[in-house]
Amino acid sequence: MSKYRISAKGRVDQRKPVRFTFNGARYVGFKGDTLASALLANGVHLIGRSFKYHRPRGFLSAGSEEPNALVGTDRGPGRFEPNTRATVLEVFDGLSTTSQNHWPSLKHDIGAVNDALYMLFSAGFYYKTFMWPKSFWNRVYEPFIRGAAGLGKSPTTPDADTYASRFAHCDVLVVGSGPAGLAAALEAGKSGARVILVDEQAEVGGSLLSETDASINGMSGWQWLDEARASLAGMKNVTVLTRTTAIGYYHQNLVGLCQRLTDHLANPPKNAPRERLWKVRARQVVLAQGAIEKPLVFDGNDRPGVMLAGSARSYLNRYGVKVGDRPVIVTSHDSAWLTAFDLAEAGIKVVAIIDIRRLVPSHLVARAEALGIETLAGWTVTGTSGRLRVASVRAKRVSRNGIIGPPRKLACDALLMSGGWTPSVHLFSHTKGKLDWNEDGQMFVPGESTEESRCAGAGNGNFGLVAALAEGAAAGASAATDAGFPAAVTSYKVDGDVQLTGVNNRELPTDRNASKAKAFVDFQNDVTAKDIRLAVREGFKSIEHIKRYTTTGMATDQGKTSNINGLVIASDAVNRPAPSIGLTTFRPPYTPTTFGAFAGYNRGELFEVTRKTPIDGWAEERQAVFEPVSLWRRARYFPRTGETMHAAVARECKAVRESVGMFDASTLGKIEIVGPDAAEFMNRMYTNPWTKLASGRCRYGVLLGEDGFIRDDGVIGRMSSDRFHVTTTTSGAPRVLAMMEDYLQTEWPDLKVWLTSITEQWSVIALQGPNSRKLLEPLVEGIDLSDEAFPHMSVAEGQVCGVPMRLFRMSFTGERGYEVNVPARYGRAVWEKLFEAGQAYSVTPYGTETMHVLRAEKGFIIVGQDTDGTLTPDDAGLGWAIGAAKADFVGKRSLTRPDMLKQDRKQLVGLLTSDPNTVLEEGAQIVLDPNQPLPMKMVGHVTSSYWSAALGRSIALAVVEGGRKREGQTVHIPMPDRTVVARITGTVFYDPENQRLSA
Amino acid sequence: MIHEHHPLLGREITLRNTPASLVICAAPDYARFNLRIDPAQLAGASKAFELELPTKIGAISVAGDRVGARLGPDEWYLLAAPSSQEAVERAFADLYPAMPHSLVDVGHREVGIDISGTHVVSVLSSAIAFDVGAMPAGTGCRTIFDRTQIVLLREAVDRFRIMVWRSYAEHVWQLLAAAGREVELDI
Repeated sequence: MSKYRISAKGRVDQRKPVRFTFNGARYVGFKGDTLASALLANGVHLIGRSFKYHRPRGFLSAGSEEPNALVGTDRGPGRFEPNTRATVLEVFDGLSTTSQNHWPSLKHDIGAVNDALYMLFSAGFYYKTFMWPKSFWNRVYEPFIRGAAGLGKSPTTPDADTYASRFAHCDVLVVGSGPAGLAAALEAGKSGARVILVDEQAEVGGSLLSETDASINGMSGWQWLDEARASLAGMKNVTVLTRTTAIGYYHQNLVGLCQRLTDHLANPPKNAPRERLWKVRARQVVLAQGAIEKPLVFDGNDRPGVMLAGSARSYLNRYGVKVGDRPVIVTSHDSAWLTAFDLAEAGIKVVAIIDIRRLVPSHLVARAEALGIETLAGWTVTGTSGRLRVASVRAKRVSRNGIIGPPRKLACDALLMSGGWTPSVHLFSHTKGKLDWNEDGQMFVPGESTEESRCAGAGNGNFGLVAALAEGAAAGASAATDAGFPAAVTSYKVDGDVQLTGVNNRELPTDRNASKAKAFVDFQNDVTAKDIRLAVREGFKSIEHIKRYTTTGMATDQGKTSNINGLVIASDAVNRPAPSIGLTTFRPPYTPTTFGAFAGYNRGELFEVTRKTPIDGWAEERQAVFEPVSLWRRARYFPRTGETMHAAVARECKAVRESVGMFDASTLGKIEIVGPDAAEFMNRMYTNPWTKLASGRCRYGVLLGEDGFIRDDGVIGRMSSDRFHVTTTTSGAPRVLAMMEDYLQTEWPDLKVWLTSITEQWSVIALQGPNSRKLLEPLVEGIDLSDEAFPHMSVAEGQVCGVPMRLFRMSFTGERGYEVNVPARYGRAVWEKLFEAGQAYSVTPYGTETMHVLRAEKGFIIVGQDTDGTLTPDDAGLGWAIGAAKADFVGKRSLTRPDMLKQDRKQLVGLLTSDPNTVLEEGAQIVLDPNQPLPMKMVGHVTSSYWSAALGRSIALAVVEGGRKREGQTVHIPMPDRTVVARITGTVFYDPENQRLSA
Repeated sequence: MIHEHHPLLGREITLRNTPASLVICAAPDYARFNLRIDPAQLAGASKAFELELPTKIGAISVAGDRVGARLGPDEWYLLAAPSSQEAVERAFADLYPAMPHSLVDVGHREVGIDISGTHVVSVLSSAIAFDVGAMPAGTGCRTIFDRTQIVLLREAVDRFRIMVWRSYAEHVWQLLAAAGREVELDI
């Protein structure tokens, strides 16, 4: 048995030892211990070094509010986590933990020199201390601050764990399973409502786990707890989630929960997710989050061994651990007296109870005296001693006139403090619910709710077991009733509940120089009372400003133990009442939450959808190099062994121009537009005229936004008078369909026409090149492929390789071309048949890179590459695609705005570099005069640039102000190492007469 | 006939460790159509499809090999045996002159996934935001699964069918597999 463990006390399983390490040293705890309780049982108080001053720190609390006890945990490769709170970390066999923020060791830390240099690190020190000389900022100060900033070490390897997520819906969600939450869940559960009860701890019970005085309905607290737990387990409509933190309360009763699934297990099952993020939509919410104890603010209140009194009580009653042999209590609230009584009754010598109040309820004093505890009412604490653990307390008497009498030095090995309790209003605050100031209790309590929620118990500012049970039961019953499950309120009989009183404090009065006191308000960010007073002296009056200037409340604990102390001191310094200074806003998450939990399943393969065409597998087998195009992955080129991309693309281009290439165009968006008003709808959406397009013919269409700028384009086939087969760009497919539906539903509901996405219905194989017809013809049935019967820009239905086909004759390469559309499940097999048949013509599969080069040689644009959302059809050289005679189409009015008619608009042009071997960089800026002073006037940029194998030189497309009128002129493209000279040309580099379309 | 490639064909996840059971598998093939028609002319469509199509959004009707689900104000999702494909297309082509509508073959666009068992609701709830448990048996809807659009049919209390565009099917399958592992581990 460890020295500080009391056998037969606590809820840990003392028959089940658990072995773990801290900084390499081996320790034994018990099943049910947290790292904090297990270390305390072994007499370890020193747990880490503080953030700024590197002061030795111990455990302040026993819960998730802990600001000091942050450790690194290591669960194996890829499973290191910094900043885990030792007070909530459950120990298991093999757990390895380390302290943080020190070098070379926890006990001897060089960084502690900061503590001696504290005057350099006052509020806003980073704005003051490091100002001069200015040149030091980049080389000295910033690296120093960055090196010193942050707590713990970031993991260096990818997280090896998986994470889960789940949506849930319930009638009543109860947050917190202390007496109020349990009472609420029991009432709601009995009503038949679907109930979810969540608690961040390993077991339900909340304060009942630590406070053992009172009895409920004639049972001890723990007996009643067992019974309540059993009743809830017996209700099929109730789900109890332990180890689950309600991290955020969002709009319309959406509450985020983070459930820790395997962190407490020594041997978690393989592939088990570590955490699950629940997104719960609740009809009604009951918040029973309890209260957090406040520290007292005095010089040396942060030494290891100085701890919240209620937490010491938890360690004793819940874990069977005494936090010291000779504790002193310092308090301004009755609750710490109960800690003293529990300790004394467990056989521990309580040295003294120092109470700031001159008047303390007489029954407390009487009980203390009966237990042999000295009481010092109306005394203050002015300092502590002890390097790595508190060794003594300096106390002084306070009278109305100030501090009098000689100091008393009380030797101790623990100092247990209480400044009263703060209702935990975090989740309520997330909803933007207004907080009311309760003058009697000197605390903020939830005001009117903005959501369907209620608060109960200590979290609502009503302390004590009687209030918790009564308010919890009432909240549970009314929540169930409002959710449609009428419920009555059960009443509870409580014996032994003590009504507690207390007062709020600013820093404790002292006879010493307050400007030298290290009286901590925010333990995690090392903010002292004098920092807050300095901020006020320097002109900060609002708590929001004081917070940011001093960083109080800005650490990972969001000031759970510091906000009210900070506020009370600020209020004293600005001499205005606390509520008028306000409280800073709490934001989700309630406690630090892993990125993994937020990502859920969406990591690795499931990070994002990777869409693959039916032909993708063939390309993969051929070692194609892929590139992402929106959510799709597409084959970029098909390198032969040892071939570079440049060589592969040149070979593929040549094959298409000289014989035949095949290309997987399945990703192109496709929309089937059907109905008697289909042509009218097309007329209104696209710039081109459609009425006269005959069935069996295709046309290139341009789609604009209301603003007149190009949104999308594609070849559109008229299958019959009432049916169009529209193609869109790959990435534009969902956008175009949504835009069309929007117009149809909101502007033209009278049109009889309907839209269906058929992108994935069809696999599309493009055959391009002079031999394309010869390859295809023998495999086709039902379509005459002769140029007379099936000229360029035709479409027809027939069969290929025995399966149904929509065949388009079209070209995005400038060569004779066909696009074979077959139902998707046949795509791969038809591709293979065509490839096989094409061997006679050395058919060459090609990828998106070759497609880009071939189309650029012909000056065909790619929307989104050559256009950027600011190009009109005329800018892009597509003025010919506008149906000038049409009454209207989307974007038409915008095209005649004065700005759209300016002569110096950026227009698409071709560029030929003076050195044919120079391939321009896409995105490079263009200037007219390379010798002008900086900053130069940029007149455009390169949008597409390639090596053209067909032309044996580089080519580029660009947008240039007034570009078309500048044809033949020289422009300059400044690059980091040189300036490239180029000539403006037309956009068509290859076969301007389009003779190859029928070659 | 030329070979067909089905994305999920032959794959199955089966858990029968009592009390939890879960079976996820590729659904048998169907002819599938997207029907858009003025609801006032639904009777004509029902006649053409030889099935009384549902009038309530979200409702499903079933008879023989025919299934019809109303997904929106003017939208029905039709399933039929693959052998009925041409007959269905012909019947609607005959209806068109009198009652214009849009019938589009989406049979190859989608892949069906059948999922059944005691834990089917919690598995689907891993990626579907609405209250799947409250969805009545015999209803269907278009919804989002993780980040993927699907059509979800609840055929019985413990049996669902997902229909998803084929390039998204793998993502849905892998996510179902991950959620299925949690059932297997009872975690």
